[in-house]
Amino acid sequence: MMLEIKNLHVTVGGKAILKGLNLTVEAGQVHAMMGPNGAGKSTLGNVIAGREGYEVTRGEVLFKGKNLLELEPEERACEGIFMAFQYPVEIPGVNNTYFLRAALNAQRKYRGEPELDSMQFLKLVREKLKILHISDDLLHRAVNEGFSGGEKKRNEIFQMAVLEPRLAILDETDSGLDIDALRLVAKGVNRLRSDDRAMIVITHYQRLLDHIVPDKVHVLADGKIVASGGPDLALKLEEQGYTWLEQGGIQSLEVEQRV
Amino acid sequence: MSALAQQWGESLRFAAPAQGPQWLNELRLRATNQLTAHGLPQRKDEDWKYTPLRILEKLNPAIAGNSGGVVADDGSDTGVRFENLTPALLDSPDYLINIYDGVLVGCEGPDRPGVTIVPLSEGLQRYEPLLRKHIESVDISGSAQAFAALNTASLDHGLVIHIREQADAGTILLRWALSGKAGPAIHNFRVFLLLGEGARMQLVEQFESADHSGSALNVVAHVELGTNAVLDHLRLQNESENTVLMSSTRIEQAQDSRYSYAGFDLGGGLVRHELKTVFVGSGAHAVFLGAFVLDNARHVDNHITVDHASPACSSDQFFRGVLGGRSRGVFNGKALIRPGADGSSVRQSSANLLLSPLAQIDTKPELEIYADEVEASHGATVGRLDESAIFYLRSRGLSETEAKRLLVGAFCRAVTDRLENQALAGRISELIDRAMPSFVERSKRVDA
Repeated sequence: MMLEIKNLHVTVGGKAILKGLNLTVEAGQVHAMMGPNGAGKSTLGNVIAGREGYEVTRGEVLFKGKNLLELEPEERACEGIFMAFQYPVEIPGVNNTYFLRAALNAQRKYRGEPELDSMQFLKLVREKLKILHISDDLLHRAVNEGFSGGEKKRNEIFQMAVLEPRLAILDETDSGLDIDALRLVAKGVNRLRSDDRAMIVITHYQRLLDHIVPDKVHVLADGKIVASGGPDLALKLEEQGYTWLEQGGIQSLEVEQRV
Repeated sequence: MSALAQQWGESLRFAAPAQGPQWLNELRLRATNQLTAHGLPQRKDEDWKYTPLRILEKLNPAIAGNSGGVVADDGSDTGVRFENLTPALLDSPDYLINIYDGVLVGCEGPDRPGVTIVPLSEGLQRYEPLLRKHIESVDISGSAQAFAALNTASLDHGLVIHIREQADAGTILLRWALSGKAGPAIHNFRVFLLLGEGARMQLVEQFESADHSGSALNVVAHVELGTNAVLDHLRLQNESENTVLMSSTRIEQAQDSRYSYAGFDLGGGLVRHELKTVFVGSGAHAVFLGAFVLDNARHVDNHITVDHASPACSSDQFFRGVLGGRSRGVFNGKALIRPGADGSSVRQSSANLLLSPLAQIDTKPELEIYADEVEASHGATVGRLDESAIFYLRSRGLSETEAKRLLVGAFCRAVTDRLENQALAGRISELIDRAMPSFVERSKRVDA
């Protein structure tokens, strides 16, 4: 099992956000996490990635059988967790290539693999850029500095391609993208799908799932997963809206989809 | 506080008289009287408000022994130790000059037409009227000028670099070190950099002593740039925590001359750099770059004054400060644009990062404009490292320490990127990186 979350309770600033969340993700799967604003979708991503300020009051998160919650964010990254940020941070003065090589080598070192020199790294980077159809000008720029919304999201996917995580969390990767940029990003993500890699795609809208077709769709509401199903669940939600769900629409779902 | 000044005054009065012309002997005496009459700078001196002299008081240094004006010109038995220090910033400078315990102990370099490098005693014989003009121009009155008064009162050891018009001295590496072996002492030294019309020189100064030094150095430098002269001046200060350094550099710039200063303070106990340039001719340009990266209880003060006394000159002050531990930084950048100095351009920028709750920065950009048609901009910021940036880097696999180093390095690179010599910039960046680990402290985790 790649990821097992059991009865997860999380508070932020004393306020309960996740209230008993259960989730199991297997290698090779893509799970979509949908739900209304404030349901706790991004909190889930941040807790997995290890951001400060999220207090786990109950429950556990196991990654490849290891207790994820006792690891530092960088240790989680080295274990194979990657989060594509909803709002990638601009870091002036830190060159994108330099940063990414430092990150990759930190991860390789952790795993006992030899570090890559700049020539080897550049070769790897060129391959990835080619696969993702990204121009190499972002290599020479500072991390996300002055990037457009689309460029920032593409840079996240590019980092993911280079770091080759086992579990990637895509936090509202579709937000702020026009349809062309969305297609490009989705195409990149699809190329990175593989049998030994799992993904959790957090999104508010169904449209991203037209391009990244998930194996499973979960609906998160008020800190819990209230429904799980196949891609058709996303369509149903799109049709009916989240208010339908909140007004008891969940009862109309087939029993296997209710949680 | 003035006990120290009295003590110094007494030892100056009883010391064997230094050699030199009559006017200089009289001036030394006047300076001694000024020093004892007014004492050392106090909090009420506006220019010293943020720089208390506690570390100097605690050190309680005596005036370094007066060698009677005799300057050693070979370092044979002076016990100079430059080993175990940061390697020289320049691999093969055209000239290498060593000043050890306030004494010029060595100068190596070729005989180049138009380039004269001599000890002050010899300089006074060759260029007396010129040096006298500079020496007498120094304000020694009042407690705020106490270190200038002290330097004048004990004026003896010095260095004169004279570059004739159109001559190029190439690169000069000037290394300063203190031994502290004779107990805590304050060493006084005077430097003259005299560049004729169209003359050029690149000067790199390195201040670094053995760890145990516990001494003080008080340097006054005079820079005169003729028409079209170019001086590229870099200073790296990497002193130990029980070292006091006071430097005062006065620059006079003729028409279309260029002065580029870059100062990097990565150490020291109590350090103050005063730099003052006067544009006596039009079209001159001065740039002051600086970065300081401090930890523990270090104190570094940069006081820059640019006097736009002529039209169409430009000046640029650009400082970045990083403070950890209980360190304290001061930036005081002043630009005075006098009436009639039209077409002046002034830029000032001071940005600072506080990495510890006990670190402190006092930043004060000052603009005084009395001319029309002036282009001026200034800004000062104080902030902390961006937590979201740290998390972003950590989420990719970098440790918290590495993440902070990367961010601090990037912050300082805004300064080193502006150096023309990029090889030198690379070395400085490495030293900045090495200066960091001790203060890149782990922050407390709040989650599980």
